[in-house]
Amino acid sequence: MPARHTAVDIKGSLALVGMLVKYLSLASLVPTAVAVGYGEPVLPFVLSGALAAVAGWGLERSLGGATSVGFREGYLVVALTWLAAAAFGALPFLLSGEPQLDRPLDALFESMSGFTTTGLTVVPDVEALDRSVLIWRQFTQWLGGMGIIVLALAVLPRLRVGGRQLLESELPGPEIDQLADRIRDTARRLWLLYAALTVVLFSLLTVIGFLGDERMGAYDALGHALTTMPTGGFSTRSTSVQEFGAAVHWVLVVFMLLAGANALLLYRAFLRRQSRAALRDEELRVYLLFVAFGAVLLTTVVWTEGLANGERAIRLGVFEAVSTITTTGFTNVAFVSWPTLGLIAIVALMFAGGCAGSPTGSIKVIRHVLMGKSLRRELRQTVHPEEIVPIRLNRRVVDERTLRAATVFILLYVGIFVGGVGVLAVDTAIHGPDLSAIDVFATAAMALGNVGPVLGTHGPLGTVADFGDVSTLTMTILMWMGRLEVIPVLVLLTRRYWRV
Amino acid sequence: MKIVVVGAGQVGSTIVEALHGEHDITVIDTVAERLEALAYRFDVRTIQGNGASRKTIAEAAADANLFIACTSRDEVNLVACSFARLDAPTATSVIRTSNVEYIDLWREGRLDVDFAVSAELETAHAVARSIGMPAARQTDVFADGQVQIIEFEVPAEADSAVVGRPLRDVPIPNESRVLGIIREDGLTLPRGDDAIQRGDRIVVIGSPAAAREWGSHLAPGEGAVEDVVVFGGGQVGSAIARLLHEQGTGVRMIEPHRERAREIADELPGVRVYNATGTDPDFLERERIGQAQAAVFAMKEDAKNVYAAVLARVSGVRFTIAVVHDLVATQVYERSGVDVSINPRGVTAEEIVRFAHDPRTQQVTMLEGDRYEVLDLTTQPTSEYVGLRFRDMPIRGALIGAIVRDGRAVFPHSDDVLQAGDRVIVFTEADLVGRVEKVL
Repeated sequence: MPARHTAVDIKGSLALVGMLVKYLSLASLVPTAVAVGYGEPVLPFVLSGALAAVAGWGLERSLGGATSVGFREGYLVVALTWLAAAAFGALPFLLSGEPQLDRPLDALFESMSGFTTTGLTVVPDVEALDRSVLIWRQFTQWLGGMGIIVLALAVLPRLRVGGRQLLESELPGPEIDQLADRIRDTARRLWLLYAALTVVLFSLLTVIGFLGDERMGAYDALGHALTTMPTGGFSTRSTSVQEFGAAVHWVLVVFMLLAGANALLLYRAFLRRQSRAALRDEELRVYLLFVAFGAVLLTTVVWTEGLANGERAIRLGVFEAVSTITTTGFTNVAFVSWPTLGLIAIVALMFAGGCAGSPTGSIKVIRHVLMGKSLRRELRQTVHPEEIVPIRLNRRVVDERTLRAATVFILLYVGIFVGGVGVLAVDTAIHGPDLSAIDVFATAAMALGNVGPVLGTHGPLGTVADFGDVSTLTMTILMWMGRLEVIPVLVLLTRRYWRV
Repeated sequence: MKIVVVGAGQVGSTIVEALHGEHDITVIDTVAERLEALAYRFDVRTIQGNGASRKTIAEAAADANLFIACTSRDEVNLVACSFARLDAPTATSVIRTSNVEYIDLWREGRLDVDFAVSAELETAHAVARSIGMPAARQTDVFADGQVQIIEFEVPAEADSAVVGRPLRDVPIPNESRVLGIIREDGLTLPRGDDAIQRGDRIVVIGSPAAAREWGSHLAPGEGAVEDVVVFGGGQVGSAIARLLHEQGTGVRMIEPHRERAREIADELPGVRVYNATGTDPDFLERERIGQAQAAVFAMKEDAKNVYAAVLARVSGVRFTIAVVHDLVATQVYERSGVDVSINPRGVTAEEIVRFAHDPRTQQVTMLEGDRYEVLDLTTQPTSEYVGLRFRDMPIRGALIGAIVRDGRAVFPHSDDVLQAGDRVIVFTEADLVGRVEKVL
């Protein structure tokens, strides 16, 4: 792409990415502190932080400083920032000398899985990781959850101008309903809520650990608190959350459900005491309906197949449904494999997603709702061609462009999913591992939907460690595209993005 | 009385025509010809000038008792009225407006005018009344349509859920009350143990929705009007559609302009809107317009209304109502088989003229000729009824059916308390009106 012909302010965009990376480098302080606390090597984190800071600062400086960006540049900045974040996140893994993460592509995969809150992993033996490295892995999910850019908006006043565009392409979902007049205040409030819920979850898990579930120490509590609120799904154990007791599972169910709801609604419900208004939200209701449906279905499967019964069957069914729909990716299932109906149901639920304005991935409930309404309207207009049928959501008319965008999104999403399935099928056929058809579908859906290993890629605890490079790269790209909600990435591939 | 009328268009001249005999009238308009035409027909003073000009109003409004601003422009009317407040602070002011927002503000008491009259709303009410209700002998509305009074004839096929049982066991629709049962031996103000019999006439007060429910109880076969088609989605058409829909009627609307059709569909959820001309026979057939119980024609051109009305009749619509813009068109309408024609400016003028007779007079409706009356009056703080719970009120030949408090209608339950300043809607016999007015 010859730069001098382009209509996009590439320099300004790169400078902004540089600035964001510069601030992101501060994140390495967290694992550094953990490393100091446990007496583990500090160097990987200090060095990564320094590298990122210098690179970011250098990029920003050499291109004349970060200024505000326009509508068009927003897409580029978001896409590049996520790549840059993933690259930065991979550095500590590589520098730590951890044998399970010593290949650059694997490190990038793990980091991308973190920042996109996916949860797929190349690390089969999680317990073997240094505690500081593991905390870094969990922390990338926490950062990715509410979005590096929201974080930046909440902290950095400099982005005030042009910030709205960024937030729109960043915060998952078709529409933001602002809480405050200024975008910066909205971002800051959401971020605080997110942090507060993480702290509450951490405290609850610690208390449960203290009261009897001795496997849940403060360290595990922190590790899981950091990955539940962003609906991430990295666990501090190779067996995900299976080893913990019922109390932990139910607490996680509640927080996954909260994380999958629209953060703006949560804010209204908790901090403005408007819970009744929040409960009237159409999207929230459909979301809960999806969850109820999935939970009943999976519980029935587990129970009737004799895999578990009583509270345990319900817990397995509810947990798995919630974890899948909210695209978290924890699993508490200890049995070898799901029956076919269960497998199909879980793969189908991977396409649900949580609410708009939540850190969940996948299609998201709002798009299902809008698409459903559009389709119903099409059928109606087949018989009544002259009739004008506005589509309403929460009694407000939805604008036609938004509707079209939802439908287009679903089509593109499914298209990319099919493409991903194709590549994975070919590559795993050549390089292994030996996957069943449903494994291929599930793996593509888990990556693109940022779902994470609810099923495991082959068998309940299968990681992607034994996948070939092409597959690993494909999944990395799928996670990246899924997190950015597909369209910003595809927009960058169009000629008319770059030209006048 | 000294009356100032701003605007000498159709509304203004209708008002002048109705009032010129007994009052001193000053008419203000910008167009000299209109004023001349009026001055030629009636003995009125005319001032050529802008109603929104302080000087003009100052000249006309000094010591006026009633100030009517009825130009076709809301803004001019509002400005004229606010100037009139300065020059004739005691005058009652009336504005004509087509903006629902202003009407709402006025109802909330936040617009500094005494009365606001909307041609669109008045037309809509007129249409709604003529589409009416099965089994109803007479209907009228109070409190801007929030309260409906209906006199029903109880037919032989009336639902036995309401007939022949003590009223306390009857599933009376919420927000409604039976005010009176009329038999050969006269009026009963019913208590819980009275029962409605077939052949009675009953007077019911209630919200528009409750009134419809009564209609469907009393004439089960007929049911409420479920399907009315409104042609034309201008201001008048959409006001009609909105009101009918609020009253529980199923409404379909046909609007030829796509943008406007979209706007209406957005504004009026529950009303089905078609983007069509309404004169395409294929469309009429496809959408089964002929099955509608009534069609209302509210397009801007009278000729189109007539044409569409004839076509609708041909396709099977039984009852047609058309909005007339040019008074001459009324005759054309009648000749071409339109059942009812309603002139928005006419109904507006009529409504405004009512204030002129005595601006403080409350609305009165006569039932059964003039034997029974429904009054709308404001309670005095000194009334012995103020502060009483409704259950404790003695029934002495009159019943309070509804109260209007802060602009909203309330259908009181036995525990509610009457407050000073409440507007009460009272049903009584005609010869007791004087007493009722005195004690309340």
